[in-house]
Amino acid sequence: MECVITIELGTNAVRVFAFDLSGNVVGSAKGSYPTFHVQPDYSEQDPEQIFITMLYVLKNLITEKLHPQKYTVHSICFVASMHSVLAIDKHGVPLGNVITWADNRGKKEAHDLKMSDIGKVLYSATGTPIHPMSPLVKIAWLKANDKERFDSTFKFLSIKSYILQQLTGEYVIDYSLASATGLLNIHSVQWEANALDFAGITAGQLPQLMSVFSTPGKLRKEYQNSLGLSAQTRIMIGSSDGCMATLGAGTWREDKATVTVEDSGAVRVVGRQVLRDDKQRFFNYLLTENYYISGGPTNNGGVIFEWFAKQFGDFGVPFDTEQIMDNLIREASNVRLGSDGLLFLPYLLGERAPLWNANARGSYFGINIKHERQHFIRATIEGILYEIYSIGKILQEHRAINSLSVNGSFATIPFCAQIMADIFNLPVSMASNSNSVGRGAFLLSAIDMGIYSSFEEAADSTTIKETVSPRDGTAYAPYYKIFERLSTKLEAEFEEIAALQQRV
Amino acid sequence: MNQFFLHHEQSKELAGFSHIQEMAVRKNSSIQLNSLCKSITESIRIYYILDGKFEWLINEHSHVLYPGDLAIVLPGQSFAGNRDCLDIGTVCWIYVGVEYIDKNRRMVLGNWSGLTKNESATISRILQLNNVAVLANVKKALTILQAIREELFGQEIGYGTRVNHLIDELLIFIARQSTHQNNFRRDFPQTFAKLEEALRQNLSHQWTVEEMAALIGLGTTAFSEKVKNYTGFSPLNYLINIRISEAIKMLKRQDINVTDIALETGFYSSQHFSTTFKKLTGYTPGDFRKRNSKT
Repeated sequence: MECVITIELGTNAVRVFAFDLSGNVVGSAKGSYPTFHVQPDYSEQDPEQIFITMLYVLKNLITEKLHPQKYTVHSICFVASMHSVLAIDKHGVPLGNVITWADNRGKKEAHDLKMSDIGKVLYSATGTPIHPMSPLVKIAWLKANDKERFDSTFKFLSIKSYILQQLTGEYVIDYSLASATGLLNIHSVQWEANALDFAGITAGQLPQLMSVFSTPGKLRKEYQNSLGLSAQTRIMIGSSDGCMATLGAGTWREDKATVTVEDSGAVRVVGRQVLRDDKQRFFNYLLTENYYISGGPTNNGGVIFEWFAKQFGDFGVPFDTEQIMDNLIREASNVRLGSDGLLFLPYLLGERAPLWNANARGSYFGINIKHERQHFIRATIEGILYEIYSIGKILQEHRAINSLSVNGSFATIPFCAQIMADIFNLPVSMASNSNSVGRGAFLLSAIDMGIYSSFEEAADSTTIKETVSPRDGTAYAPYYKIFERLSTKLEAEFEEIAALQQRV
Repeated sequence: MNQFFLHHEQSKELAGFSHIQEMAVRKNSSIQLNSLCKSITESIRIYYILDGKFEWLINEHSHVLYPGDLAIVLPGQSFAGNRDCLDIGTVCWIYVGVEYIDKNRRMVLGNWSGLTKNESATISRILQLNNVAVLANVKKALTILQAIREELFGQEIGYGTRVNHLIDELLIFIARQSTHQNNFRRDFPQTFAKLEEALRQNLSHQWTVEEMAALIGLGTTAFSEKVKNYTGFSPLNYLINIRISEAIKMLKRQDINVTDIALETGFYSSQHFSTTFKKLTGYTPGDFRKRNSKT
């Protein structure tokens, strides 16, 4: 029997799934790795640890689950989180750690570029918002602040490019991940000369561009042996986690949006056209030459509810955050929709879409003497979801959205899904397979194998577990109106308080 | 507790307890010059504040202590009063001598202690790694200290055993409490990140699951389960991940020989390193280095 393995190099962990050719999960495993914050704005990971963790998890999955079930591995498809940068020298040796998407060291570079004319040109050419997350900005930061590393860099890779180079010997990047670097022209699908100029590099310093269906090369013999895979196992370069979460959620129609909320979150739509936005609020990432995934990311997803749980939950058993969160949700469900007028702005980590303001901060608003602990719980959850809606709302200026598909650990909590249905006033569906990224990567492989003839057909194969309908479609509107106004009205105060906080 | 002062050279109450160097309660009613100058001793010093407010420099860090707080000064650490004076108030202390400090800076307590060798080593390690000099609001410590005092003065049958048990209990309590104070035991990822840092800083150490669990403040079973859930690996396999990743970096640097890399990253021998490395990567360390060599 044949199976397809998908490997997701995520923010905190590598997740490996094995699917049979009908799309059923026949095995899965994960392994986590740490993020280092050597300075407050820095966010780095060890490329060797990611590589070793991936090998370890993959090997265990193959020998403990797949071989005993007599599966042979047809192909391995790779997915990775976006925006990572790893500098390597001419021997392929990493110069320092991988800089992850969450790294903010390029704040000043990003701000200056965004305000400039060239910034506008680069945004519309590359589809990547000008932000410290963007590899364009990170490389420019290295040029200005870490000359030694910059000058010794042979190539700037993404973490996936590094892993694939270890496995196959080739330096490659797929269109999806490349389109999230701020360096790729998403219209011509070539490295963008103006962006390369700004970063101070040449196209030769970047990996070779490839379609998401391409194979960089064969698995090196040593890894064939250690993993127990044949030389015929196809290595497929794959795509980015954002694009795959959309495909795996079964959303391949222009009138449908995907909401992903794990720690952070995003609202995405798929289409054949780029969404143009003068305020530079959206990303437009490329999946293949004729499909774009557009939308907006938020910093403040489930991580904010976890923050609340850790601070204010009742910890009977040490470290039992999940149980605490379950209890909190039970308490929150005793409170009426709108939390009796208590509002929460969830911007604890600054915000990307739609505010794009690193200095935005959180706030509870409207507290009165009758508000109890349970109101704060519900308000916290509603605040996180108002922010999701604020992204969806600006997307609706460009696309008519008639339904949502949600995935990710926070968004798929039934209580949260219902609130989203109510706030958006749209039906919300949840896919049966909770890991949309892995499923998306499987579908990509299946399209490549000819199992499905198109993205539409592949996406349609995703079965829906549950659809939640809006109950009272207009009830949230007056609350959201205040939420939206506060979020923009407080801009000056956000600046001032953030400046004070940075002094401490 | 009323004032008292016991010293192992003078007090008959301490006969048979050569490891208890001092135990006392002192009520200090005036500030005198040079009453608490900087000193370093080779014993474990434990202070409990009964009354007043004390400002102390422990291991070069300043602390303010209030009634109910406990300070612990480890062998080799410095201890001094603010401006070299003992503040006004009442304090209880006990000095417990250690037999010796081994080459890993671990305290070996001596035969009087009922702690197993492993537990005693782990407690010693935790106290050093946590680096918590002051425990806030630990009334339970007072109960133990009072019991020690009563046993020493009462000398009822079995007191020799009881006193030593109580000192063990006090040390266990302090070790656990210092971990709980260090971690709120709410945020596993954050606490795990601290543990990971401790592992990386001392990768050549032969870490045991007990030590790792104790640093996080969990029992070994709960700890292993949490780690497996969070990282996908057992604690020791996770440690192997870190060891191999560090080894890869060193192999690529070309300037350290393979045996040194093996020992520095915590493998028993280059053979052990080689087998583990090959099992995971398909390459022996030597071949891996050749493939990544500068030629």
